[in-house]
Amino acid sequence: MNIAWKEIKKNKIRFLILGSIVFLVSLLTFIISGLANGLSQDNAALIKNLPNGQFYMTKDVNETYNLSRIHSRTQDEILNKQSDAVAFSIQMGFLNDHEEKQRSIAFVTSTHSEFFQNVNKGEIILDRSMEDEGIKIGDILTNNQYNGQFIVKGFVDQSKFSHAPVAYISVEDYKEMYKVNEMQLLFIPGDDSTQVAADLQSFSKNEFLNTIASYKAEQMSLNMIIWFLVVISGMLFAIFFYMMNVQKIGLYGILKAIGVKTSVLFKMMWTQMVFITVIALCISIVISQVFNLMAPKGMPFHLTTEATIQLSIIFLIIGFIGATLSGIQIKKVEPLQAIQQGES
Amino acid sequence: MSILTIDEVRKTFTNGEVKEEILKGIHLSLKEGEITALIGASGSGKSTLLTIAAGLQPASDGQIIFEGENLITLNSERVRKIRASKFGFVFQFAHLVPFLTVEEQLMLMLDVSESKLKKQEQKKEVNKLLKLVEMDHRRNAYPSSLSGGEKQRVAIARAVVHKPKVLFADEPTASLDSKRSKDIMILIRNLSKTLNLATLMVTHDEEMLSYANHIIKMSDGRILRSIK
Repeated sequence: MNIAWKEIKKNKIRFLILGSIVFLVSLLTFIISGLANGLSQDNAALIKNLPNGQFYMTKDVNETYNLSRIHSRTQDEILNKQSDAVAFSIQMGFLNDHEEKQRSIAFVTSTHSEFFQNVNKGEIILDRSMEDEGIKIGDILTNNQYNGQFIVKGFVDQSKFSHAPVAYISVEDYKEMYKVNEMQLLFIPGDDSTQVAADLQSFSKNEFLNTIASYKAEQMSLNMIIWFLVVISGMLFAIFFYMMNVQKIGLYGILKAIGVKTSVLFKMMWTQMVFITVIALCISIVISQVFNLMAPKGMPFHLTTEATIQLSIIFLIIGFIGATLSGIQIKKVEPLQAIQQGES
Repeated sequence: MSILTIDEVRKTFTNGEVKEEILKGIHLSLKEGEITALIGASGSGKSTLLTIAAGLQPASDGQIIFEGENLITLNSERVRKIRASKFGFVFQFAHLVPFLTVEEQLMLMLDVSESKLKKQEQKKEVNKLLKLVEMDHRRNAYPSSLSGGEKQRVAIARAVVHKPKVLFADEPTASLDSKRSKDIMILIRNLSKTLNLATLMVTHDEEMLSYANHIIKMSDGRILRSIK
């Protein structure tokens, strides 16, 4: 007999309250996770969308990529040795449209590579968000530090850096605008060596992301909120099941007295926990995915299936731990004590 | 025929450095189809004896022989299995599961005792017993809607639905008025005979003794006298 289900059926309100709390906490966690991931994409999609590999910048710049200047000889040596290696630079700047409206942009230039957009002198490829703002292919854009004009050749998805859309320009144009001859960074995909040249410092993708100003602080704060919510949900489970178990101590004792196994009582509690959590999570997932679709375009919200599944599994594990901890008292219940206590 | 034999059973509680002997070498036999009533003042050891005989707490010394096995030396899982399949319990309060209907209370007991009956046969058995305790009209009722007497009838039905060999009843009428107490005792007596149950009952109520086949008066952890 499924006594776990019978109890839920009889005490709908009690379980509805617990389910509602789990639903609200998990929905909040999904939304914050979507927001954290969205902000992370908004801050560093350019880097995050690259394959795993090593990033290199000069050692003497205190991990500040935009101060890094890779010597042309070192760059040539590495690019000649590693065919898929790429040298690139990123600089924040502005673009003016035909109405002289100024837009904040992250200019990116690179040596020829499959990982970056390759453009000719005077051409520019922009992040898709610029298209949403009314820029069209063939539009002419200007920059105060650039004497010529950029003609928009196309748009690419998910290419953002430091909360600004990326604009791919040619190396020649970049040199003209920023008056530098060296590239800031080197990227070697799939590489796990840490030393390719004596004057370069290597970074994994995650390490490099953390050198981006504000990225680490932003992600740490949001991740802290997510984990805090996960811990709260675990505590909620523990407290709620503890309270329910305290109310049922007498019943557990009597059930043990008539021969019910302790494991059956634990299974009853776990079944209820899984039932409540799965339903609450399903509703949360549906609502958060609807939110994902309906969120305004400007809102950096990005909730992946992977993140949703991961968080759901964590919720189930933490719920299981919380319920089990509170259930230790079931093991301690003495049938005799329950008989002597009288009816609740 | 004797089905459960209590031999030289002792129970000692230790409170700090003070040792207190609650049971001082008890001998007792329970026979099929008979009710044995334990009486005595509070603290005489009768409830302790009942719970030890039922395998709900261990004895300090002695033997409790049931179907050739000594409950005192068995592991807790084996004792639980015996409790689930061979013993039935009725307590002072009905202690029904609040979220199960009357019928489900009995079905649960059949589950716990690992009854080999098929679901349909189990239902038949439950219906038969509910008729016997005159509760078949309340089969779908939850405990919260039952009177004290009705609850106790269901508790008795639950205690015997799996056809146990021994029924342990700890003050089964203590929470009921005189009329209902008599009804419950008649029910226990009839079931003991019909199902050939050996019943060990603790009671304070002398009026209930007329339903017992044997009366054992306890005092200070010893059997003072045994009346047949």
